[in-house]
Amino acid sequence: MKVIVVDDSLVMRKIIVNVVESLGYEGVHATNGKNLLEILEHCGGEVGLVLLDWNMPGINGIEALKTMQKDSRFRAIPVFMISTESEDAKVGEALKTGAKGYLAKPFTPEELAAKIKDILG
Amino acid sequence: MNKIILYDCSQEVTDMVNNLFGKKVAIENSSFDAQRPLQEFRMVIVETGSKKTEQLLQEIKALRYACNFRNIPIIVMKKKGDTYPNNPYLMAGATEILSWEAPPLACRQILQGYLIPNRKPLDQEMEYLTPFIDSTKHILKTMTSMDAEYKELYFPSDFRIFGDVSGIVGLSGKAEGNAVITFCWDLARKVISHMMRVTEDQINAEFIHDGVGELINMISGFAKKSFVGKPYHFELSIPTVVMGSGHQIGHPEEASIALLIFDVEKNSFALQVCLKLKIEKGN
Repeated sequence: MKVIVVDDSLVMRKIIVNVVESLGYEGVHATNGKNLLEILEHCGGEVGLVLLDWNMPGINGIEALKTMQKDSRFRAIPVFMISTESEDAKVGEALKTGAKGYLAKPFTPEELAAKIKDILG
Repeated sequence: MNKIILYDCSQEVTDMVNNLFGKKVAIENSSFDAQRPLQEFRMVIVETGSKKTEQLLQEIKALRYACNFRNIPIIVMKKKGDTYPNNPYLMAGATEILSWEAPPLACRQILQGYLIPNRKPLDQEMEYLTPFIDSTKHILKTMTSMDAEYKELYFPSDFRIFGDVSGIVGLSGKAEGNAVITFCWDLARKVISHMMRVTEDQINAEFIHDGVGELINMISGFAKKSFVGKPYHFELSIPTVVMGSGHQIGHPEEASIALLIFDVEKNSFALQVCLKLKIEKGN
């Protein structure tokens, strides 16, 4: 199963992908919302989870999430937001838009692993 | 008592500094030592003429690094007839260039000005600085398992930063400004290696560039949470990163810039916070 890790920070993507792969999933890098949507077009059926940052250049996380929710092919793919935006209003907006969960940066790898396990079982 | 260190200065300069300050300061004349920490000194004085200019410039650069971001002025005493321009010394990290030809009274006033203690932050300033201090310690601890110890702050009058890499986030909204984190290369490599849980030899320039940007993003984002419903609430820009010693960071006009120093495993890094309330048009 593929897990797409969407973050404009290479370091953050590597940290998250390491956690994803330690759980036995295939981590796929996406650098922003546009890149995520391109990857979904090519291999959306193989994707089991999207881990999505909020603040990114180009199409940001919340815009990408809205686009996914409007597309019947991608609506069922669970999306988990991981962001520096940790205010209640932002978390609420993400969940209302369709995110399955929210993890504020900073986080430890153990915290992230527990969240992924919660969603994917 | 204030302590001043003179590096490789002639007897003439040593006597002059002694005459200027008398017994009010402790003066030490020493051979150049790039490894010696300078935190205990309030001023460093070097002299032109006794060594090649390029060597002196390199030594000034090393001394600026040895200051570990502290507000320690480096004074260059220029010999009579020395026509070499001042700018290379300033770019290397010097604070002031004084000529031997300057009257002693003027020299004394300038030097004494640098010994005036830094002003204490106002309560209003600590209101927005404290969340950044707490956030910095929390981010380093969570992401790298490293303990960052907050040491001191001052309000620099100079926009130059003598570190190797700075991550910058613009802050806008009810309050505007920016937050800048600056590391020397070695500490940046160590911090990013801890963050990625790999060895330091696996860290390249791209990881440092990217990781320092992400650190200031997280520090500002976590601090932001403390300002919800308060006058200093802001939104974050996408972080940018600047590399190279002596780089300058632009700040909004008439805003005070606080430079906060943190120690991690005997090394220091700096966090600059510049935040001022936005005045709404029509007010």
